[in-house]
Amino acid sequence: MNFFQNRYALIIILLLISLLTACQPEGTRQKMRIGYMNCNSEEETLKRFYPLTSYLSQKLGVDFELMPVDTQDFSERFAAGEFEFTHTNSLVYLIMHEESQLQLLATEKRGRYGSYTSGSIISRKGSGIKTLADLKGKRMVFGPQLAPSGFLAQYDTMLQGGIDPEKDIAYYAIPAGSFKHEKVVYGVYFGQYDVGTAPSLDLELMTGAGKITADDFNIVAESPIIPYCTFGASKDLDPTLVENFRKALVELTEKDVVSYQGEELKVLASAWIDGYETLEDSDYDLLRAMAKRANMPPYQEF
Amino acid sequence: MARRDRFDILTGGGLLVCVLAVVFLLMVGQEKNTSAAALDKAMEQQIAYQARIEFLHNLYQPVEDLRLAGQASEALLKLDELARHYPQEAHGEILQAEILLERGAIKESIDHYVRAVRLNGDYVDKASPLTRRSGIQQLVDLRLPEFAARTRKNPQSLALQNTLTGLYYLQSRLSGGCE
Repeated sequence: MNFFQNRYALIIILLLISLLTACQPEGTRQKMRIGYMNCNSEEETLKRFYPLTSYLSQKLGVDFELMPVDTQDFSERFAAGEFEFTHTNSLVYLIMHEESQLQLLATEKRGRYGSYTSGSIISRKGSGIKTLADLKGKRMVFGPQLAPSGFLAQYDTMLQGGIDPEKDIAYYAIPAGSFKHEKVVYGVYFGQYDVGTAPSLDLELMTGAGKITADDFNIVAESPIIPYCTFGASKDLDPTLVENFRKALVELTEKDVVSYQGEELKVLASAWIDGYETLEDSDYDLLRAMAKRANMPPYQEF
Repeated sequence: MARRDRFDILTGGGLLVCVLAVVFLLMVGQEKNTSAAALDKAMEQQIAYQARIEFLHNLYQPVEDLRLAGQASEALLKLDELARHYPQEAHGEILQAEILLERGAIKESIDHYVRAVRLNGDYVDKASPLTRRSGIQQLVDLRLPEFAARTRKNPQSLALQNTLTGLYYLQSRLSGGCE
């Protein structure tokens, strides 16, 4: 009799413990920060990624704080321990992987190449600029320097095609402020520059939205495809939490919703994402080779 | 009740023959009408099909021209533009699949092939003017063993599972399987 009574008491105690740990209310749970690289503007980053961050908090039982971070400051602030998880472009991932052993979690899918993307070099239709050789002596506008598909991929494509951007073109500029990629496209469209470097994804989205047409531009060259935006995790985190984070991302479907500010929002649609995929770090090797050839971080030599 | 005379029998018989003749003529006429209508319907379908193929060729000709000129990136943009007016058109999906395959985006190419074949089975039909059967067969023969091995190695990957499912679907459609 005593044996059975003790066993029931033990089961009740275990049940109570599991209920108490499972139902930790928000505010008493573990706190962590996710640094999100600003793509176009801080305002846009906040709007896009609040629902996803909220979803991850609910799914993992951790209070995640969303931190919008400027691209240029990202690796430094991560190294300083300001946030534990990262969402950046693939080049910034590469830099932090080399410098701080950032772990690869999942790669974002968006547009026709899925978890990959590419960079295009464009000129206005009718300009007569159709090949890489035609770029010599022209005025050019690049995207932001740490943009893999807005700068690095095209810079490398030019080098591979025998054009040195530092010597062979008249001059190049990088637009200031936010929405740099669209500024590049419109800069070429309105004739401020002869040639520009646009992420192929932006051209695809702008054409799909009717902002530009396929007949507006010559695609002078398109780079090979390279991994798109990437989630990473600090090397010091609990492996179970890291794995759960990765699983939560790759298992997200377009139907998943989150309650956010009194509304039921679709998580992926709110963040303009098609999904997440697990890539291998070796899938980033082509990007590494590009960065080495272009003498860019994390392999820059002076 | 008066007895029927010979004239009554003749009149009744003549009337019966007339009724039977009318019934026979009505039946034969209806049969002819039905087969004529069926013939019209088949011809209408054939004409509509030919017109559709002609229309698709004309619509997507600029994409084909750009591909022939080696301008795959511009061809993809042209497809984006056409998709604004003709979303979910199977022919656009097929062209997208072929260009993405050339660009090395294998998984995405398979997704588009699957979408195209789901929308229109003509692409795996040997006899169809739209057929892409040999290309799809080559893709399945080459990539199915590769993705099966990759999925075995990494069974957690939902993306690999999805691609493998797509390849199995194409394989089934090539062998004449139903959905």
